[in-house]
Amino acid sequence: MIVVRKVKVKNALGLHTRPAAAIVKLLQPLKSAVSFTYKDETINARSIMSILMLAAKKNSQITITAEGADAELAVRRLVTAFEEEFGEK
Amino acid sequence: MYLVQHLFEQHGKHLGLDLLAGASGLSRKINRPEVHRPGLSLTGYLKGYVPARILVFGKQEIEYLKELDPAIREERLKSILTTTTPVVITARGFRPPKEMIAICDRIHIPLFRANATATNLLSRITFLLMEEFCPSVTLHGTLVEVFGVGVLIQGESSVGKSEAALGLIERGHRLISDDVVRVKKKEGSYLIGSGPELTRHLMEIRGIGIINVAHLYGAVCVRHDKGIDIVVKLEGWDDQHFYDRVGLDEKFIDILGSSVPFHLLPVKPGRDVVLLLETIALNHRLKDMGYNSAKEFNAKLLESISRRQKKRVLS
Repeated sequence: MIVVRKVKVKNALGLHTRPAAAIVKLLQPLKSAVSFTYKDETINARSIMSILMLAAKKNSQITITAEGADAELAVRRLVTAFEEEFGEK
Repeated sequence: MYLVQHLFEQHGKHLGLDLLAGASGLSRKINRPEVHRPGLSLTGYLKGYVPARILVFGKQEIEYLKELDPAIREERLKSILTTTTPVVITARGFRPPKEMIAICDRIHIPLFRANATATNLLSRITFLLMEEFCPSVTLHGTLVEVFGVGVLIQGESSVGKSEAALGLIERGHRLISDDVVRVKKKEGSYLIGSGPELTRHLMEIRGIGIINVAHLYGAVCVRHDKGIDIVVKLEGWDDQHFYDRVGLDEKFIDILGSSVPFHLLPVKPGRDVVLLLETIALNHRLKDMGYNSAKEFNAKLLESISRRQKKRVLS
């Protein structure tokens, strides 16, 4: 199953180290292959370095693509984390 | 998408570009990595003229334009300066004719002046554009240089790519990039990998965090870019899988249409991955020098078998 969804970076500091760590952590128990696409660059969402490389600022749009049995769950959890601004509100 | 603005910002200084007109057109797209001296097109012969090329006016073009009647000059310039022309450059610091400045301003083509000769500009700009336009891809993996061989280590997250790379660095090999590798295909077949500017020479090691290898181990342990000579995929040991035990058949993997020697390396406790990677790199060098251990041995074995068979026939 492939799930694709677009999210917006809402926290003021953008995707810095802490949010990147939070994303990797929430994906750890899940099995799906998850990738982020930002500005024609597609990266593995399980890699902190790759997320940091994007240097996505506030309001940038990221396309999440998840593939696997728990893809829907993975995307839902990620969207919630983005919505909650990774607890930085 | 590559804009005139990018060319100007990144290479303007190096090329000595001086903006004379058409500043409103800096956001024009450069669609082809091609630079053209309009020469013949200025005489009015436009068959096969490609308007989407960058135009460089050299000494001859400028002298020729000077000799023309103003009305004809304007007409000829109008026919080659089209809405798809990305940028116009005059060489040797020549001041472009008034008509050229007016047209460039009117239809928003950036017009630059440079000090170098037209031939020099042609080759330099072509080279820069070829770099920008070559096919590229971002791969998940760690690129290291082992005994001069560019090894791209791939594999699932947490299989131990970064740890293997750290082990190699500790033994004096070099890190190019951890986790994210930008690969460019140059001159049609040569693959070169580098790390993204922002995370260059940083590594993420589980249980330690983010470390800067250049600072920890020194400048000798890092490199900016390196050709990709082999790809090694690390994977957790699978009892069901039959791993290569002889090495007679070489496997290849496709990256941007080029095939690169590929090894699948199973990992399990007690297997020293660093040593294995060093061995793969050395074996690759040996093969490059024309010696293939597995094939060489097999040839010897076949010869010995056939000798024995002959003996039996004789006796």
